[in-house]
Amino acid sequence: MSSLSASEGIPDDAAYVAARRRRERRAQWQMWVILVVVLGPLVIYPLIQLIVLSFTGAHGVSLHAYTAFFRNPETSGVIGTTLGILFASATMASLLGVLIASMLFFKPFPGAKLVTRFLELFVAFPSFLVAFTLIFLYGSQGSVSIGLQRLFNLQAPPLDFLFGIGGVILAEVVFYAPFVVRPTLASFATLDMRLIEAAKSLGANGLMVAFRVILPLAWPGIAAGTILCFLLTLNEFGILLVLGSAHLITLPTAIYSSATVDLDLPTAAAGAVVMLAMSLSLYALYRRVNRRTGGRDGN
Amino acid sequence: MATEFTWVPKASKPAVLKRIGGWAFTAFAALLCFWLFVLPVIVVALSSVASHWSGTIFPAGFSMRWFERLGSSDFDALTTSLEVGLGVAFLGTVLGLWLALALEGRDRRGVGAWVDTIAMMPNGVPSVVLGLSVLIAYHKKPLDISGSAAIVVLVQLALVLPFCYRCAAAALRPELTILREAAASLGAPPSMVLARVVLPQLVPAIRASLALGFALSLGELGATLTVYPPGFATVPIVVVGQVNRGYYLPASALSLILLAVSLAALLLIAARVPRRRIA
Repeated sequence: MSSLSASEGIPDDAAYVAARRRRERRAQWQMWVILVVVLGPLVIYPLIQLIVLSFTGAHGVSLHAYTAFFRNPETSGVIGTTLGILFASATMASLLGVLIASMLFFKPFPGAKLVTRFLELFVAFPSFLVAFTLIFLYGSQGSVSIGLQRLFNLQAPPLDFLFGIGGVILAEVVFYAPFVVRPTLASFATLDMRLIEAAKSLGANGLMVAFRVILPLAWPGIAAGTILCFLLTLNEFGILLVLGSAHLITLPTAIYSSATVDLDLPTAAAGAVVMLAMSLSLYALYRRVNRRTGGRDGN
Repeated sequence: MATEFTWVPKASKPAVLKRIGGWAFTAFAALLCFWLFVLPVIVVALSSVASHWSGTIFPAGFSMRWFERLGSSDFDALTTSLEVGLGVAFLGTVLGLWLALALEGRDRRGVGAWVDTIAMMPNGVPSVVLGLSVLIAYHKKPLDISGSAAIVVLVQLALVLPFCYRCAAAALRPELTILREAAASLGAPPSMVLARVVLPQLVPAIRASLALGFALSLGELGATLTVYPPGFATVPIVVVGQVNRGYYLPASALSLILLAVSLAALLLIAARVPRRRIA
């Protein structure tokens, strides 16, 4: 302590402190430059324009665009539909994802490594393609449908659910389950296996170990994965466009059609602001949970 | 062989049952994973070479005619997608690298926390909403770029930037900071530290960021569909248009090309150089 205070007067040290302060000031300045030059035009300015337009009426500030968006008979139940699809598909995708992750981690089968690797690639697979492949499999003229027809000697192909809410939920479950698998696997990897061994040697059976030991320990990672799954499912667009276009109106498709079909940007902006509020609050929750677990919010 | 054979009946009955149950479970798990995640890719591949596939379990006959029939509009879309994808991947990687270097160790408080939050925000914004915002902001004065490919690049850049930023930030490990400080204390100017120490260490991250940016840009649909000007349709837009009109097989030929290109890019991630240990 005394040596530290003694060395304060040495000019070399003062120069070091000055250089450090200069470097810090330069770093602050650089961050402001990034904020204005990069993030300004890419993110900040468009979002501000969106919010401003949604509150702009014929005579200054008004809520006219919002009433126009939600009074439209076609889009009246749109938030309910969106939330219903969101909860059904994200809940199932999360359960399936956790189940697959626990199989891959605790009961690895030959090729489990390959599947894990494949799931990582799946994240870069465009979602509309998943919806598209399901048409060949589960569409009324698809493989599964025709196979069932041949198997049970039916008059007509039995499956006819794909172009509607059922198909959308199926596609979203298939596409978003891998997004839960990754964080869940990561949180399993940090488990202390001795605790599981101890529980087993004390006589706990498989279910008990799963629900009393593994689940509480891995919970933060699973929660982060589940919230991410909800966020991505809410923001999904391609699957809705391919499988739900005609009679299933959800928030993203309603925004899209009022912007590009009706060419009514203020009304579309009002819907977009409502959706932005929903997804940004979910995103804030995700960042909070993820930061607490010390994970990186990479995607 | 014989000794093994006689050994099996000696095992108690529950153990045998348990083992069979374990096998059945494993087989079920493998089948489920295959069914859900591998089958879709096989289906796209199979359907693109099918001469006809409707009302049958397997495709009826194989041919390359869907590839031969790809018209000039399909190739235009492919060219647009590749050009936009390369541009977005390059710009995203450069900007992501800059963000990561500028924010290193400063992303928890003050301006840094704000910059970090705003840079990551497109991850949480629906792509249609981001596309609409960009369209609203840049379709009239003071800056009107809604008639050129620039607006597509701009909106995809915003969507890809969080991924590229995270790629670079994850690679800036504490060991690297020590190396940089060592180089600086030995008298290397900042530009030399960047060129000779930091960038060589970041090569795997840069490759991953390029590949990820490229693949994400190729598959992007929502935002691009909202902003694209006539004549600049990308492959996903053309594919979705064909699917909605019921032309399934030409659509899968085009999407197979798209998948092949983005898989080739993603293999760059898999083929990354093994991380050398820093002593």
